[in-house]
Amino acid sequence: MRRALVAITGLAASTTALVVLKAAPGTSQVAQDVPAGQPPAATGAAEDEETSPDATAAPATGKPKATKSARPQGSASATPSRTASGGATRTPSAPRTTTAAPQPTARTVTGPVVSNEFGNVQVQITVSGSRIVNAVALELPEKTAQSVQRSGEVDSRYSGTGGMVVARQGADLDTVSGATATSRSYQQSLQAAIDRARG
Amino acid sequence: MTYPGTYSERRPGHPQPRAGARPPAPPPLPVAPRRGPGVRRTLTTLFLTGLVASVLPWWLDTPAGSLTGTTAMTTAAGQITGLLAGYLLLVQVLMMSRLPVLERAVGGERIARWHRDLGATLLVAVLAHTALILVGYAGLEGRSPLGQAGVMLREYQDMVSAFAAAGLLVLVGLTSVRTIRRALPYELWHATHLAGYAVLLLGFAHQFSNGSQLFRPGPVRTGWIAGYLLVIAALAWGRLIAPLVFNLRHRLRVADVVAESPDTVSIYLTGRRLDRLEMLGGQFFRWRFLARGCWWQSHPFSVSAAANGRWLRLTVKMVGAYTRDLRDLDPGVRVWAVGPSGTFTAAHRTRERALLIAGGSGITPLRAMLEELPPGAALIYRARTPVDVLLHRELDWLAQARGVRVWYVVGSRRDPGPRQVMTPDGLRRLVPDLTRRDVYLCGPPGLVEQCRQLLRHSGVPRRQIHLATFEL
Repeated sequence: MRRALVAITGLAASTTALVVLKAAPGTSQVAQDVPAGQPPAATGAAEDEETSPDATAAPATGKPKATKSARPQGSASATPSRTASGGATRTPSAPRTTTAAPQPTARTVTGPVVSNEFGNVQVQITVSGSRIVNAVALELPEKTAQSVQRSGEVDSRYSGTGGMVVARQGADLDTVSGATATSRSYQQSLQAAIDRARG
Repeated sequence: MTYPGTYSERRPGHPQPRAGARPPAPPPLPVAPRRGPGVRRTLTTLFLTGLVASVLPWWLDTPAGSLTGTTAMTTAAGQITGLLAGYLLLVQVLMMSRLPVLERAVGGERIARWHRDLGATLLVAVLAHTALILVGYAGLEGRSPLGQAGVMLREYQDMVSAFAAAGLLVLVGLTSVRTIRRALPYELWHATHLAGYAVLLLGFAHQFSNGSQLFRPGPVRTGWIAGYLLVIAALAWGRLIAPLVFNLRHRLRVADVVAESPDTVSIYLTGRRLDRLEMLGGQFFRWRFLARGCWWQSHPFSVSAAANGRWLRLTVKMVGAYTRDLRDLDPGVRVWAVGPSGTFTAAHRTRERALLIAGGSGITPLRAMLEELPPGAALIYRARTPVDVLLHRELDWLAQARGVRVWYVVGSRRDPGPRQVMTPDGLRRLVPDLTRRDVYLCGPPGLVEQCRQLLRHSGVPRRQIHLATFEL
């Protein structure tokens, strides 16, 4: 019985120790956390990128990540690398603008990172003329399986060429039940992107 | 007496330190070579490695400094306890798999003790996991923990079965609390405990549909599933295949039932190829007598004679309905045996000489062990009345053949004789080199505990004290 008490105490102590160790800010991760902690306005330095449908701009800048995600992504110089890589890796199933882009010129506009208690949300829209033709979530909360499931629901309802964003042409979207926070953050990031595209 | 040399053959490189010291007596006495605690240490290391490995995915997944706020910390603690609980559950089932290597290197009794202690830890881990995740997720989603429980049951995948698993585990844990367990009939307790397998099954799915470290396909998920498969393979091997092979090879049957005292019988078993039976004196089997009224129960009894290639014997005191039925076993009844198990053997000694202390029917494993101990052993046999002294003819014969000193200490606990012996001084008077001997204790729990304390007071190191008691 004494051994059981020792084991239980060990369990409690080690769990606490692990959590406390991870709660202490490490030096390497601080840089990564800063953008998420910043207010939307600060990170709202989204890049307007001009791309032709035949993607002549992409080979010109020669960004390897653009080919990986098959998303037209022009000027590499001004885009924060974190946004670019986040978009490239996190939304592999995102609808591609190239397939739905018969229009003469399309611009992609990236919204700011909006963080909530579940994680970060960042939306990128493709605008053709004054029309939103596509919306892609570059980042959605996926810390837990549940989170992933809900993010998936939000993504499938809102994003894509046939999603609610394109249908409504604005950020006034129905909240996805069970994913209120993520829906709101999505709408915030989207609204900022739309403002950016118009301004 | 033909002792098969299987154990010495198996470890040819093992040194035999006694070979030179012993005078060249005409019939060389068979002595079981020592087995070190190496396997046990390896197993402990493996266990700890697995423990670290089970939490490692969480550690690697979680960036430092990301746990800000109590909600995140609570959720993280819930994830850690969940991973640990998942691992401990697997270990718990593995320990009960009757895997031959575990049974022989660690022994059924020690495994049972570990299982008990780890079981308490597992129960706490599961309760902590449930509570922490509920509170953590409730904080994230702005609900009360109870409301969160409702939401998880309704909306999350596989959580109904997970809650059922937790409930079953609590039930299993509660019925194993010593005082509650004593109040329950053994069969009820056993049936409840078998629900542990259901816990394994019911708790399986939610780890993969909701576990943050496990829901993504990848090495962690694969490894976790491999752990499950390994444990199931161990169960199949230890509970099914190994016993099947053993019993098909040896086909044990009851040969005779002989009364040793008014309330004790010896059951002699014969079978095939008993010369190939790898067994050490002091080990036990779990016996199932395939006769009417007995076949559905399996009980552990020590073998009361060392392996001799011709027969096996167990000596059983009749204490309950089941053991009374054993008296009426007919010759020819088939016996299903699982084992051997236990480290209460001459091979696990750490010193050259041994002192054996037996209480009542606790003599049976010691009697078998005496045949394999080096000469110079001593035996103190406590019995309440002269009638309770079992097998004394054999003991006297062994005393002569193997140079064992035997004292029969007969009488009630309060009689002057036993009282005098059962003190540090009394023991030292009988066995002056007490602290340089291995001491093997077997008997009623009260006596074993009393002797253990007595020996510790007398300065016998803990690792030289070997206990055999089936009481958990």
